[in-house]
Formats: sequence, structure tokens, C-alpha cells
Amino acid sequence: MYRSQVLALKYFSAAMALFGVMVLAGLLAACYYIHPDLLFGILHFNIAKILHIDTMIIWLLMGFMGALYWFLPEEFGRELAGIAAAEALFYVFCAAVAVVAIVFIFVQYGGANEATLWFINQGRKYVEAPRWAAIGVVVIMAVFAYNIIGTAYASRKITGITAVLMVDLVPLLALYLIAFPAISNMSTDLFWWWWLVHLWVEATWEVLIGCIMALTLMRLLGTPRRIVEMWLYIEVALVLGTGILGLGHHYFWIGTPAYWLAIGGFFSALEPLPLLGMVVHAVYDAGTHRMKTTNKPAFYWMMAEAFGNFLGGGVWGFMITLPQVNLYAHGTQWTVSHGHFAFWGAYASGVVSVIYLVVQKVRGAAELDGALWKWSFAALNIGLIGMVGALLVSGFAQAFVERAIGGSTHEAFIAGQENPWFVQGMIMRVIFGLIFAAGYAALMWDLLTIGKRAPVPAAVAVAAE
Amino acid sequence: MSTPDLLQTALLLGVYVALAGLYGLFYAIARLATAPLIRGAAAFAGTLHVLMGAVVVLWTPLGTPWKGLIVASSAAVLVIPPLTWRLLQRSHETEIEG
Repeated sequence: MYRSQVLALKYFSAAMALFGVMVLAGLLAACYYIHPDLLFGILHFNIAKILHIDTMIIWLLMGFMGALYWFLPEEFGRELAGIAAAEALFYVFCAAVAVVAIVFIFVQYGGANEATLWFINQGRKYVEAPRWAAIGVVVIMAVFAYNIIGTAYASRKITGITAVLMVDLVPLLALYLIAFPAISNMSTDLFWWWWLVHLWVEATWEVLIGCIMALTLMRLLGTPRRIVEMWLYIEVALVLGTGILGLGHHYFWIGTPAYWLAIGGFFSALEPLPLLGMVVHAVYDAGTHRMKTTNKPAFYWMMAEAFGNFLGGGVWGFMITLPQVNLYAHGTQWTVSHGHFAFWGAYASGVVSVIYLVVQKVRGAAELDGALWKWSFAALNIGLIGMVGALLVSGFAQAFVERAIGGSTHEAFIAGQENPWFVQGMIMRVIFGLIFAAGYAALMWDLLTIGKRAPVPAAVAVAAE
Repeated sequence: MSTPDLLQTALLLGVYVALAGLYGLFYAIARLATAPLIRGAAAFAGTLHVLMGAVVVLWTPLGTPWKGLIVASSAAVLVIPPLTWRLLQRSHETEIEG
């Protein structure tokens, strides 16, 4: 095993641990909606929410990094350049995440000045980490980029997938720099902040997961490289073609010129189309292999990725993307419902699929199957669908009562929060969140044990029957 | 947009895309299984998708350009599954021959 593959295992372990923190913080944040005075004076809602969404970003990022540290030495046929620095930075990354989380918990609110921006909280959603930690992220991503580009240069071997990946690393790194400036004009700040949030998630991450899924497909189903690369080019072109200017759907109501209504609405309305192609592609792959594979969990999670992406990004996104509907729906639990479904489908399922693939290889299991992964698969997906359904109902109530009837006044906001449909949706979200948490526990146990359990020899199984 | 219109329009848009997905799913399964029932299901889902598009165009308060986009999207939705399938088949056949 290459050193970078050992590093990949560490990244996967850290990612799965942070996945657990995300689930716990999410459950806690969900409880505040039912009992707003929960942990009053001890842990504020905003901190639970920050921990939930920031760990979501970090566990997925660590999952992507783990996947690439695993696949790339095989792709280049050699150890990655600068692996010693990457190994050291893994521990720095984990320590920084822990320190930032501790600071968030111990300094929950207070005045804002230059020092707090550097050491406590930058105050921008998704990138709250203080500047020292944000600089750390830049260094880690720069070394990650060097690992890939430096290895490609040293090995003089660039495949279609690694070429796409290297091009993607530039905006991935550059866009994160938007996390730094403190702009006092809120419209200007939001304008650039969306470049970071949207273009990371709906452009650079899409390309990253496209490359990772291409590498996974080759190993999981033995799909030839030429086909995988051709589809990577097509899908990346389509996703970027619609996703980059789809950015405009975040510019509808932040004080930007009115032409963004047309640009954002048009391009984001096109976003489901490439996802439809992916659904057809997934069925083709599943059908030509007659659902037969030596790694069923990885295969099913990969299928969940294609369908989840279509439902979460396509169907849920399309409901709220046209300006006339978005006027009422933005910033409600409706968009939260879309966010949960889309992240789960587009990214989380893909990362879990890769981890199962790697687990099979590490444990040398000829076949990976069993009952537990099915339970975790079912509980996680039922929990997730239940949560997004409940959030959707609450979002409908908010859009209806608070926005359309109440006209977005403070009084209307309170009326929306007290509406029975909203409250019931929030309760159901916690119940399905618990099912999701049970699924996470089952997933963790399965990942720790699958492939280690001794397979029952066929002759013994027949005799037992 | 009135309050009932809001919910109605959003739900219709969601169902419109969901039916597009269902059409793609059944189309692909029908190509694999060649069972007449599934082929019928694909045609049914495709027809429902187009009908849903017509409902959005005729009965929602969306602006005319957005309604035009819905019509264009439906045309694309009907073409994407067969086009993707043909491309997939051709690329795999070429690989085997090569």
C-alpha cells in the first residue's frame, strides 16, 4: 500500500467521525426549533447550527481528499509528490478543526473587531472559521494541489481524469480566498460570498465528485477508461454550463441588478437536464451488469448518488428556482429541505460508496455484502427522505403564512414559526433525524466490521439448511 | 402571485421534473428489459410530463418567458434519455470492437 493510501484511510476515518459530529449537531439544532429555550445560556442555537453545517463541509472535503489520496497513486503508478507534508498537515487539519470547534463552543457571542476575525469567528455562513484556520485550509489545499500536480509532472503521466482534476484544483483553491475579505457592504459581501459557496458546491465540487466517481466506476464495474473519460467530459461540460451561471439564483434578492432574475432563473432551470442524463447512465450501468458486483454496498451507494442528485438537486431545486416562486421560498425551511437532499445525493452518497470500495480492498475481501449495510442504507435514506419531507412541509407553511400572507414582517415571522404545520414538520424532522442517526451508527459499525466477518463456506450453508 | 398559486405552482414544477426523471428511469429500464409493460410505463410517464408542462403553461401565473422555458425543457427531456442511451451503447460497442 502506498503512503498516500494510508493517509487516505486516515482522512476517511476523520471524515466519518466528523459525519457523526454533524449528525449530533444537526439533531441538537433541530431540537431548538421545538424547544427554543433548550440549553439556554449554555449552548446557543447558532453554535449548534455552525457545527452542523461546517462539519458537513469538512467531512465531505476530507472524504474527497481521502478518495483522491487513495486513487491517485494507482492512477500515476507512483507515490504522490510531497506526501510527507500531506501526512503532517493531516494532523494539523484535525487539530485546527478541534480548536476552532472548541473556540466556537466557549466564545459563543460578543463584539466583532479585527482580533475576533482572526481568532474567533469570521461571521460568514459556511466559512465561519477564523482567519488563522482559514489560512490553514489554504495551506492544506495548496499542498493537496501540489501532491497532484507535482506527481503528474514527476511521472510525466496525465490521464483525462487527472487533467480535469488539475484544472479543477485552480478554482477550488482560488475561490476559497473569498473567505478572507471583511466587506462591510452586505450586498457586495454576499455577491462575492456566493462565488465561494455556490461555485464551490455547484461547480468545483461537482467536477471533483465527477472525477472520483469516474475512478470508482473503473474499479467497481470495470468500465473502460475511454468511456468513463468521455462521460466525464460531457457531464462536466453540462454541469458547469448550467451550474456556473446558475449562481444567479442566489442574486435574486440581495440588491444586485434585476437582470440576474433572468440569468439565474434560466440557467438554474436547465440544471435538472444533465442530472436526467445521469439517471439514464446509472440505469445503463446497473442493467448491463445485471446488478451483479462484488461490492454491493459501494454499488448501491453509487446508485443512490445518481438518483439522490436528481431528486435533491433537480426536483427539489426546480420547485424553488424560478424567481416568482423563489420570492416566497428563499430562506425558509423549503430551501433547507433542498439543501439537505442535494448535499446527500450529490456528495455524501458518493463518498460512502468510495469508502466501501476502499474497505473491500484494504480487507482483501473477495465479496462485500451482508445484512447490516442494507439496514444502514435503508435507515439513512428513509431518515433523510423523511427529514426533507418534514422540512418541506414546514417550508410550505413559512412561505405561505410568513411570506405570502404576512408580507415578511417580524409579526408574520412569529406567526409562521407558531403555525401548526411548521411545528409538526419540525417535530417530524427530529423523529426522522433519529432514524438517520441510527442509520449512521449502523453504517459505522458495518464499516468497522464488514469484510472481517468470516464468510460461511457454501457447503456448510447448504448442510445447515 | 396569490398564496394558493404559490404552492400550486411550486408543486407543479416539482412534479414536472419528477415525471421527467420517471420517464428517464422507465425509458432506460424498458431498453434493458424490453418488456411491453415497462415500455408503456415510460410512454405514460413521458406523456404525463408533457401534460404537466401544459398545465404549468396554461394554469400558473408564471411569466411568458418562463413558460417558454418549460416548453423547451420538455422538448429536451423527451430527447435526453434516447440520446444518452444511444451514446452509451455506441461508446460501449466501439470499446468492445476496439
